[in-house]
Amino acid sequence: MIDRFFTAFRYTVVIVFFSALMFPFLWIFLSSVKPLTELFGEDAFKYFTANPTIAHYISIFVNYPFLRYLWNSFIIATVTTVYSVSISAAAAYAVARFNFIGKTILLGVVLAIAMFPPIAIISPLYIFLKNVGLTNSYLGLMIPYTTFAIPFSMWLLVMFFKKVPWTLAEAAKIDGANSWQIFYRIFLPLSLPGIFTTAILTFITVWNEFLFALTINTDDRFKTIPVGIAMFQGQYTIPWGEITAVTVVVTIPLVIMVFLFQKRIISGITAGAVKE
Amino acid sequence: MRKLTPYYFILPAVIMIIVVALFPVGKTFYYSFFDIQLNHPCKTAARFSCEFDLEKYLENYLLIKRSLSELPAEAAKRIKALNKEVKEAAGSRYVLVQQKMLTYKNIAPGEALVDINDKNARKFRHHIKQITAGLNNKRNKTKIIGMVKSMQDALLAPTFIGWANFKKYIFNLRLWQAVFNTTAFTIVSVFLELVLGLIFALMMNKVFRGRNLFRSAVLIPWAIPTAVAAVIWGFLLDGQNGIVAKYLSSLGFVDNMGNMLSTAAGAFFSMVIADVWKTTPYMALLLLAGLQSIPGSLYESAAIDGAGVYKRFRYITLPLLKHAILVALLFRTLDSFRIFDLVFVLTGGGPANATETVSVLAYKKMFSQSNFGEGSTIAVILFLLVTFISIIYIYFLRSLLKGEETA
Repeated sequence: MIDRFFTAFRYTVVIVFFSALMFPFLWIFLSSVKPLTELFGEDAFKYFTANPTIAHYISIFVNYPFLRYLWNSFIIATVTTVYSVSISAAAAYAVARFNFIGKTILLGVVLAIAMFPPIAIISPLYIFLKNVGLTNSYLGLMIPYTTFAIPFSMWLLVMFFKKVPWTLAEAAKIDGANSWQIFYRIFLPLSLPGIFTTAILTFITVWNEFLFALTINTDDRFKTIPVGIAMFQGQYTIPWGEITAVTVVVTIPLVIMVFLFQKRIISGITAGAVKE
Repeated sequence: MRKLTPYYFILPAVIMIIVVALFPVGKTFYYSFFDIQLNHPCKTAARFSCEFDLEKYLENYLLIKRSLSELPAEAAKRIKALNKEVKEAAGSRYVLVQQKMLTYKNIAPGEALVDINDKNARKFRHHIKQITAGLNNKRNKTKIIGMVKSMQDALLAPTFIGWANFKKYIFNLRLWQAVFNTTAFTIVSVFLELVLGLIFALMMNKVFRGRNLFRSAVLIPWAIPTAVAAVIWGFLLDGQNGIVAKYLSSLGFVDNMGNMLSTAAGAFFSMVIADVWKTTPYMALLLLAGLQSIPGSLYESAAIDGAGVYKRFRYITLPLLKHAILVALLFRTLDSFRIFDLVFVLTGGGPANATETVSVLAYKKMFSQSNFGEGSTIAVILFLLVTFISIIYIYFLRSLLKGEETA
């Protein structure tokens, strides 16, 4: 009896939480297909429109440079992820595999940087990038993004690398392989899942970044998608139709990614936080 | 050779960390002792001593030179004398900059800047004063006077001001209001996230139909950009068309749906709602990982001994989850304390700075007022506050670990 009560209670809580989490997305989607006149006034609170339209979806790509923003974000996030994870993988390998002087300090610094507020480094980076003419360029965002992408991915990779068995590497060492060969030929293939997880999380973090993107790339040609959406303004009224449509558009790839890589993402989120 | 191997592997990462993280942090501390204002012609850089901007000087001098013949003989003589002195003091750099300007080549940053000692700086100022005084009596020379005056901008005074920025902000009401807002926001939202996240985690720890779907679904709010989440909630809480604002007002939580984003309390809770919605899943996942590390056998033997649900939670789950809770709280507190995007997009810090956080205040100083000296000072204060919070948490985590070892 009590068990049945708890089961019913649990399902109720799950359904309530699930609805609370999903309702905003549902509402944004329902609003994005409403014609402009139904986005304001009493009609704004109706769930379903009688005249669904895709006008806003066309508008965001025809009248506004959202495709460009998406492309900018994609390039910046991909390049930053690839080189940050590569550099971090080598360092994380050394941290997980060897004992050396300064290891504790390195790990401490890495964790501290992952925690400190981005506003604390923006003034020198901004002044530097402005002086060398790198504001409004891809490189102008990739450089500052390294600041947190490297410590972030390095921390995760150390956690993953510690779990990779060393026996194969030991065997290779006996066979006369040097450190670089062991790392490149044996260790990296073995730890691909962890590297992949780290890359996904780094990509999401870089893709979502706002403060640097807002201040450094102000030109429409180089804006990233979060800034493009957040700073999107109409001439006279707030263009909710376009805003909801573009929100749906950027959420869809994330939903697909989350469903495909759910287990990996969760293992990445929790890797650094659980005491082994 | 052997001993050096690990250093080869960490070298690239260490170089990058020093160049893009440690050096900038140090530079922010450094800037906080200067009066740097990017929109002020003489205060765009950190300087301990006087400097002389040849480019700015020559820009004006080369123009004045063309109309020297129209000027009274005495003024023209003085200008020539002044130029001679500048040329002698700056040496080869003068020729270089002049050549580049005449051939329209780009001048590298810092190339046009030369050091100038106090004596020469005083002499330069004196000359300018004499020249303008001499021209003042003549009519129709206003254009030239303007140029002579802007020649004076070439002389850059030191911007080092010591502790002045800190002295200004230590008793600054707006800063402390921002610290208070940030702290209140952090405490309220992180507390709600902990409670809801724990319930979430306890639910997800049990097997139920659709658990995988549920786990994927909770990741979506976590994965979307905070700025986009803020836009979504801006729409849901909008004073005229916001559905959630309407529901909240018909349920009696607010008098008027327009109050959500336009009053201090409404805006504060709007931020809390958006933040709780976005980050509770993250909290839940961290706690879930902690729950999964508790061996199931503990619960079984407790159940055999007759411990009920509450007792099992109170005496097994909570104590064993302490570590995971502390780590989750540490991550979330630090994250919440540096919050920028949610506030900036959802409320802009308003109404009337009522929801302004420290990061937003620092941003406004730097990018709305171009005051990088004061902005850096606020950033340094935030940095110190965040460090202080982490030290407290790490102290608790350490003593927790020690307690477990002795037990």
